[in-house]
Amino acid sequence: MTDFIIETSQLCKSFKEKAALRGLDLRVPAGSIFGFLGRNGAGKTTTIKTLMGLLRADSGSAHVFGSPVTDADRSIEVRRRIGFVTEDKELYPYMTVEQIICFTRPFFPKWRHDLERRYLEIFELPLKRKIPDLSKGMRSKLMLLLAISRDADLLILDEPTDGLDPAAIEDVLRELVAIAATSGTTMFFSSHQLAEVDLIADHIGIIDQGRMIVSGSLDDIKARYQRLRVVLEKPVELPVRWEDGVESVRQEGRMISLLTSRNVDAIVEQAQSIPGAVVERYPVTLKEIFLEQVRSN
Amino acid sequence: MLWYKGWLETRFRLLFILGFTTFILLLQYSVRTATPPPGARDPAFGLILFSNPTLVLMLCALLGGAGIVTQPSLQATKGLHGSTLFTLSLPVSRLRLLAVRAGTGWLEVVVVIAALCCGMWLVSPAFRAVATPVEMLEYAGTLMACASALYCFSVLLATFLDDQWRAWGTMLSAAALWWLSTHTPLPASANIFRAMREGSPLLAHTMPWTAMAFSLGLAAILFFAALKVVQFREY
Repeated sequence: MTDFIIETSQLCKSFKEKAALRGLDLRVPAGSIFGFLGRNGAGKTTTIKTLMGLLRADSGSAHVFGSPVTDADRSIEVRRRIGFVTEDKELYPYMTVEQIICFTRPFFPKWRHDLERRYLEIFELPLKRKIPDLSKGMRSKLMLLLAISRDADLLILDEPTDGLDPAAIEDVLRELVAIAATSGTTMFFSSHQLAEVDLIADHIGIIDQGRMIVSGSLDDIKARYQRLRVVLEKPVELPVRWEDGVESVRQEGRMISLLTSRNVDAIVEQAQSIPGAVVERYPVTLKEIFLEQVRSN
Repeated sequence: MLWYKGWLETRFRLLFILGFTTFILLLQYSVRTATPPPGARDPAFGLILFSNPTLVLMLCALLGGAGIVTQPSLQATKGLHGSTLFTLSLPVSRLRLLAVRAGTGWLEVVVVIAALCCGMWLVSPAFRAVATPVEMLEYAGTLMACASALYCFSVLLATFLDDQWRAWGTMLSAAALWWLSTHTPLPASANIFRAMREGSPLLAHTMPWTAMAFSLGLAAILFFAALKVVQFREY
């Protein structure tokens, strides 16, 4: 259990008749940058809220830092080690930037004043401005500052770059990677932006309909998934059944495109056995893996 | 720092209430200038039967809060304000969130009642003529004790309603209770509005101990219920 900062097993949660999580198994290794992907309504925010103790699971278990999230006494100590950025980036509307920083600081004994000053400067946050007068991008930056300056061991970020312009996204991602590299902070972030997950995550989990459908090291997943392009001399009848590991097959005239998730050598051999076939291997992007897995699920 | 958050949440409401208190005091000052018929009570006493319980009701409706659901303004919001999740992510127990916010609001209620009673004593010779300072102090204590049940009801509503509905809910429920207290034979020991009006030390010259104890007991039950709601509620 200690190797994983977050660990859930067969986590289930329903809202009235609708099942949001259906036996979710999630493992976030210590020190990793874990990208949590899924379509709208896949269960990402429900998972995050359950991990934060804001929702109670119907069944299954969830542990953060080895403590069950249902343990109210230990959850206070656990929350002291977590930096949290909420999905809608809302903060108290009656406070200014300076006031919310002053308010948050005393709750975290390890508060890093140097990081606070650094991010105030980098994010160009106006101290005297009221929170409702900030743009969503500015509020995202402020929430990141509040999460990062606590010197947390775990950052849980729900769509952290939502509302930011491309330049700001670049800044934020660079800073997140720098924090993970220098302090060993574990990052668990949900995002719709596959390109940014591809850029900074070293582990990913794809959730769909409340279940984890792909999870593991991004390098391993990318090594496992390959696209094979088979060019035929003339249209022929394809094998009735491909080797195990073919996720999808698309044929356009003499061109066949296969997405494989394992057993690639055997599949290549099978494709080469088609008379006159030329087989080429291509790496796949995270976007291709995501779309294929979500569609096939 | 939770008290600071509570203060920022309520400071303008407190200002509004203090303005309203000043208005009530001015009203009490102005009516006493009318000459009462011989043997009749000063009209200022008649006024406090209505104005002071109304002020207490407003205090409870405006200043109550549970510290978890953010109170952005007295406007209906679409569901929970997003910053509620930020509050709940802080390393603080829900009991502490509730207790500090409810305590901050309660302290403000006490301050306004104290200001009202001091103001009444200072501006109205009618009260100075018939009530001793001790009776004025007893009257303030009675208002505070009787306000506690209404205030804790407001706190309970704040655990599951947004701010606008909480304020309206408190006012309408208390107004209904007030109506009941005058139109039904409610026992005096359970009639907190009577204890704030004709049963108060200012008019009855005796402390309504049973009604005060009833109000404090009810407040404790309502606070406990509010605590259970925040401990078990999902956000």
